[in-house]
Amino acid sequence: MSEPATNTETTKDYIVRFTRMQRVEHLLLIVSFTGLAITGLPQRYAETELGIRSIEAMGGIESIRILHRIFAVMLTAGSIYHGGVLTYNIFVKRARLDMLPNFGDVRDVIQWTLYNLGLRKEHPKLPRYNFIEKAEYLAVVWGTVIMIITGFMLWNPVLTAEFLPGSFIPAALAAHSAEAFLAVAAIILWHMYHVILKQINPSMFTGKMSREAMEEEHAGELELIDEGRLPQPPSEDVLRKRTRVFIPYATVVTIILVGLLIRFVTVETTAIETVPRVVSTSDADAALTVSADDGDIDAGAAHWQELPCSTCHGSDASGLPGALNIALAGTSLDFEVFVQRVRSGPADMPAYPRSEISDQQLADLYVWLQSLDRP
Amino acid sequence: MSFNTSWLSRLGLFVGVCLLASGLYLIDYTPTVMSQETTNEDAETRAETAQTEPESNSPGYCLICHENSSQTFSLADGSVHPVGVDLDALAGSVHGEGNEEGALACADCHEGVAFPHNDPLPETDRAYTVSRSINCTSCHEEQTENLADGVHYSALIDGNLRAASCVDCHGGHDVQPVDEPVWASSQACGDCHTTTFTEFRDSVHGEALFDDDANAPVCTECHGVHGIQHPTTALFRNRSPELCATCHADEDLMAEYDISTNVFDSYLSDFHGSTVAIFNQTAPNVPTNKAVCYDCHGVHNITPADDDKSQVVRENLLITCQQCHPGATTDFPESWVGHFEPTVESHPFLFLVDLFYDVLIPITLGGFAILISTDIFRRLRKRLSGKGD
Repeated sequence: MSEPATNTETTKDYIVRFTRMQRVEHLLLIVSFTGLAITGLPQRYAETELGIRSIEAMGGIESIRILHRIFAVMLTAGSIYHGGVLTYNIFVKRARLDMLPNFGDVRDVIQWTLYNLGLRKEHPKLPRYNFIEKAEYLAVVWGTVIMIITGFMLWNPVLTAEFLPGSFIPAALAAHSAEAFLAVAAIILWHMYHVILKQINPSMFTGKMSREAMEEEHAGELELIDEGRLPQPPSEDVLRKRTRVFIPYATVVTIILVGLLIRFVTVETTAIETVPRVVSTSDADAALTVSADDGDIDAGAAHWQELPCSTCHGSDASGLPGALNIALAGTSLDFEVFVQRVRSGPADMPAYPRSEISDQQLADLYVWLQSLDRP
Repeated sequence: MSFNTSWLSRLGLFVGVCLLASGLYLIDYTPTVMSQETTNEDAETRAETAQTEPESNSPGYCLICHENSSQTFSLADGSVHPVGVDLDALAGSVHGEGNEEGALACADCHEGVAFPHNDPLPETDRAYTVSRSINCTSCHEEQTENLADGVHYSALIDGNLRAASCVDCHGGHDVQPVDEPVWASSQACGDCHTTTFTEFRDSVHGEALFDDDANAPVCTECHGVHGIQHPTTALFRNRSPELCATCHADEDLMAEYDISTNVFDSYLSDFHGSTVAIFNQTAPNVPTNKAVCYDCHGVHNITPADDDKSQVVRENLLITCQQCHPGATTDFPESWVGHFEPTVESHPFLFLVDLFYDVLIPITLGGFAILISTDIFRRLRKRLSGKGD
C-alpha cells in the first residue's frame, strides 16, 4: 500500500522499489523489534540459564523492563506513523491496496510450490508485493496490534480491570508471551530465509532491486514497468487539493493518537514504582511519642494506684520484700530505658504494650518516681 | 579454618562482652557494697572454717554462701540481686542431674571466679546480665559462632544492652530444653517482642503451635536461631517464598493438613513470583516491589485462606491488592490466577488464548517451513544437476 517509487529513477539495471522514508521506517522497525525481542524473550525464558544471564547482562529485571517499555514506545510511535502514511496513500494518492492478499496470491503459492517440486515448468510471475512479502506484512501488522493491546493491559493492569474483566490480564500475559515467540520465530524462519539465506536482498536498505532479482521475485511488476502500464499517480494539482483536506484530519488524529500514547506510558505506575512496604514493628522498637518533660507528677501518682505496678514494686515504689526486690522510687534510669523495660518486661516482669500503658502514662509515672526519695 | 572462625567469633564475643561490661564500669565506677556490712568478714570466716572439707571448685564450696541464701548485693543503678542459688531449679535444668555429661559444677560456668570475690561488678543490672553470657560460650561453641552473625549480638556490640543475651531466652540456673513444650522457644521471643508475639499467637501457625503441634513453625524456624538476620532486609524478603515453601511445598507434611503443595509452583509461574525468582538469582540484595507470600497472606498474623479475617479470602482480597495497587477496582483481584491450576471454567479467557496459540503457532510456523523446504528442494536439485534456472 506504499506508494510505488517514481519510475524516473529506474535505470536499465535497477528498479527503484522503496523511498527513503520507507527505508527509514524499516530501520526503525528493526531497532524496535530487535530491542523488544532482546529485552522480552529473556523474561519469557527467565527460568533458563541463558534467560537469567541475559537479564543480568542488561542490568537486572527492573532495568530490562524499562528498556522493553522504551522500545515499545518506539514501536508504537512507528505504528502511528505507518498508519498516517497508509491513510495518506489511500485517501490522497488513492493508491492500490497492493499489500492485501487476494485470490492471485493463492494461485501464486500453489504454482510456486508446484514449480519448486518440479511439477510445473514456469515460475509464477509475482506482483509488486508477492505472497511472501504479504504474509510477512500481515504477520507484522497482526503481531504489532496484539502486542500493543496486550502490552497496554500488562503495563496498566489497574486501568484495564476498570473496563475489562480482571481475568483478561493473565490472558493478555499468555498472549503477549506466545505472540512474542511466534513473531520472533516467524521473522527468523520466513523473513530471514527469504531475504538473507535464499539470496541476499538488500533492496530495503538500498531502495533498489536488480532486474535479475526482479525477474524471480516480481516478474509481474517488471512487465508492467517495462510496458509502461503502471497506474499513473494523480497530477500535482489533484494531490495538492486532496492534501489540503487531508492535513487537518491527519493532524487531529495524530494528536489524539500521540496523546493516547503519552497517557498509555504515564497513566499508571504501580507496575514500575516501588510502593514502600509496611513492616510490622514491635512495641519495644516503636518510636516514643513523648519525652520525660511531658510527664505530670500528680497524674503519675494516680496511675501508680490504678495500674498493676504496685503489686510488685510496692505501693510507695520502694520495692517489696522478696527475691526480686526492685525499688523504683528515685529511679536513676533514663526515660528511654525505663520505657523499654516496661514495654519488654525483663525477667519475671510482664511486658506492657501501649494498649495497656500509654507513652503519656509512662512519662507521668517516670516523673512521679523521680520525685520520690530513694529508699 | 572452621576451628579458626569458631575460635575468632568466640573470642570476639568474649572481648565484646568484656569491653562493654568493663567500659560501663569504668565510665562511672561507684564501689558496690554488699547489703550487709558484715558480709565479707562473715563469709571469709566461714570459708576458712570450711576450707578443709569441700574442694574449692566443687559446688559445695560455693554453696557455703550461695545455697538459698537471703543475702543480696546492690549495683550502682539501684538494682538488688539475691546471691542465693535455687538448687532445685539448677538440678532440674539441662545442666543438672539429667545432663549427659554429668551435672555441671558452679565453676564449669563461672570460670575463673575465685573467692574472695574481688572482681569489680558492672554498674547496671543489665550490664551484669549481659556479661553472664560469657559463661555459656566455652561449651556452646557452635551457638556462639552463629550468634556472632545475628541481630541481637550486633545490637549488643553496638552498645544496645536491651538486646537479648543468652540468659534472656534460655534462663539462668533453671535453663530448660527449648522444645519442651514445643512452643517454649517462641514464648521466650515473646517476652520482648510482645506485639509480634500476640499477633503470632492468634495466627493459624501460633494456634497450632500452642496446641502442641510439633509441625507448626516456631519463631526460629523462619528467623533462624542464634544467627537471626534482620527480616526487613531485601535478601530476607526475596528469599521468603522459599522459606514458606520449605513446609508448604512438602507433600507429606501438607497432606496432614489437607493443604495444596501447588502454592509455590503456581506462585513462581505468576508475574509476582517469577519476578521475585529473577531477583533471587540476579540481585538478591536489591529490594523488589513484587508481592511475596506474606504481602498477601500476612506475616505473623497469618490466617487460613478461607477464614473470614484472612487477607486473601475473596471478600478481603481487593483491600489486600490495594496495598500495592492503590487504584485497584472491584474486578482487579480477578487478574490473579490463584494457586490452583487454571481450568476452562475458572479462567476461560486464559484457556482460550492458550488454545488459540497452541493451534496458531504450529500452523503458521509449520506452513512456513513446508513452503521453505520446497524452495530449498528446488535450489538443491538445481545445484546438484548443475543446470541454470
